[in-house]
Amino acid sequence: MNAVVEATDLHKTYGETVALESVSLAVDDGEVFALIGPNGAGKTTLVRALTGTTVPNSGTAHLLDESPTAVDRSRLGVLPQEFSPPARLTAQELLEYYAGLYDESRDPETVLADVGLVEAGDTWYENLSGGQKRRVCVGSALVNDPDVLFLDEPTTGIDPAGRRTVWRLIEDLAAGGTTVVLTTHDMAEAERLADRVGLLADGSLVASGTPAALVAEHGGSSRLTVEPTAETTLDEVASSGTLSALEYAVESRDGTLVFEDVSPADIGPIVDVLEDEGLEYTSISWAEPDLETVYLELADGEERAQTDRRSIGVEPARAEASTTADSTGTQEANPEGSQ
Amino acid sequence: MSRLGRVRAQTSAGWRSFVRRRTAVFFTFFFPVILIAIFGALIQTDPTGGGLFAEPAAYYVPGYLAVVVLFTPFSRLGSEVARHREGNRFEKLATTPVTRGEWLLGQTVVNAAIIALASLLILVLVVALTGAEIVFSPLVVAYILVGVVCFCGIGAMLGSYTDSQDGAVAASNAIGLPLLFLSETFIALEQLPGWFEPFVNLSPLTYFSRGIRAATYPDAGTPAVFGVDPALANLGILAVLAVVTFVLGARSIPRTD
Repeated sequence: MNAVVEATDLHKTYGETVALESVSLAVDDGEVFALIGPNGAGKTTLVRALTGTTVPNSGTAHLLDESPTAVDRSRLGVLPQEFSPPARLTAQELLEYYAGLYDESRDPETVLADVGLVEAGDTWYENLSGGQKRRVCVGSALVNDPDVLFLDEPTTGIDPAGRRTVWRLIEDLAAGGTTVVLTTHDMAEAERLADRVGLLADGSLVASGTPAALVAEHGGSSRLTVEPTAETTLDEVASSGTLSALEYAVESRDGTLVFEDVSPADIGPIVDVLEDEGLEYTSISWAEPDLETVYLELADGEERAQTDRRSIGVEPARAEASTTADSTGTQEANPEGSQ
Repeated sequence: MSRLGRVRAQTSAGWRSFVRRRTAVFFTFFFPVILIAIFGALIQTDPTGGGLFAEPAAYYVPGYLAVVVLFTPFSRLGSEVARHREGNRFEKLATTPVTRGEWLLGQTVVNAAIIALASLLILVLVVALTGAEIVFSPLVVAYILVGVVCFCGIGAMLGSYTDSQDGAVAASNAIGLPLLFLSETFIALEQLPGWFEPFVNLSPLTYFSRGIRAATYPDAGTPAVFGVDPALANLGILAVLAVVTFVLGARSIPRTD
């Protein structure tokens, strides 16, 4: 496989603010790569650096074996994050306008249908709903049938049904061989669409890999969470002899009892024990770790570390080593203290 | 298709966007009407007496045209660039094949069409309301087109170097108003203090007004430039300035953050 998007040791600062710190990654031909991370983590700056609309302070970026500013732009499709096209053109006219900028383009009516907006084709952009506007913007990135597609938060503001329309569209494009780099705050979106996921925090790529690999590495175990009634004293219950005798780690956390590493077959025996103990509860839920768990584990850890550093007046320290995301689908490195 | 197709797409989108802003259309054309009604009325009260507006009505034709040729590109391009920047449209366009020059050319064509219509309205009104006796020279069309290119380039720079639409409009007024009155449009050079002369000669609008006056009102006695007919020589100077400002304007448009 050839990497069609490549970043090596990218650094970018805006004044005192570090937007990117030693970011390296490679995205293969036909791969879908999702960038996740908190607000201000550097996702948009990274997309800009990869598409040539910002110049990194150091490091290199390559797109289709060229510098991003030298690449054949007819092969590139980009949806900027806060993009607002001319307001008094209709959805159809907007797609015709952007299609008109390319020597060869897809039929704008087909693109309009792809993003599920046939009915709204004659409506001025400014009169569309927020989700419809975003879908037109997604369409504007597809009119040239690009080989590489960058979508910066493509489904923000789109309702669940519309989101699935966009997901199916991205899946179809990926199936057709289009390389897709997208950013998102929706972990279900990343988990469903991405072959690999990169987690940015505080300007650094702190983890990357397939969703399954990230979950296995950072997601922890499956959990059974019991929410007791208000009268119950959790610490006493957790340390009770019967529960302690179980083979699971039990702890009281945020007003709930959490049993770690519980398989579905073990739920019944645990419930029996709880009833024997006379514990009254309002709900029981069981969950396997997912990408959101990983996100909260890594990104929250980073954010908490930052907050702690700020609260004691220490300058933010940076990860000593850069994290490299290669195309092997495995996670290469972890942030210091992120575990 | 390539370059021509991209400019056409840009022009088509720009024109549609303009004609769908009803207030913008109304005031673009209402502005010269007010101007001529007020200034025409003022001039007609004392056509040959003293004061600022003492010249025959035909003398002021370049001034009326200058108002739209100068202010329309300044305000439209300035705010359009700011609007594009605020909506991340340049970020999007930077990833398409369209160049900054093509984008500016598309905007310039739209402005040229708007200003040509407004100029026609002005010429009709100035003759009908003020009784101005002017020569209808085809050079007027050339001056208007070249002037639009020149001031669209400056308008693009205003939009690029200010940080908001409000800033762009304020800057276009702050720069446009002095230019309008210090470019031999309504006020002859002789009526200004001598130290204004270098500033007057630096203004591109000076060559527009001198040339239009030479082409439409030969009796004004516009001086020749190095022995060349002033109607042609001033057009040449304006064309050179237009190329420079257009290139600088295109280069000022942001491609990266």
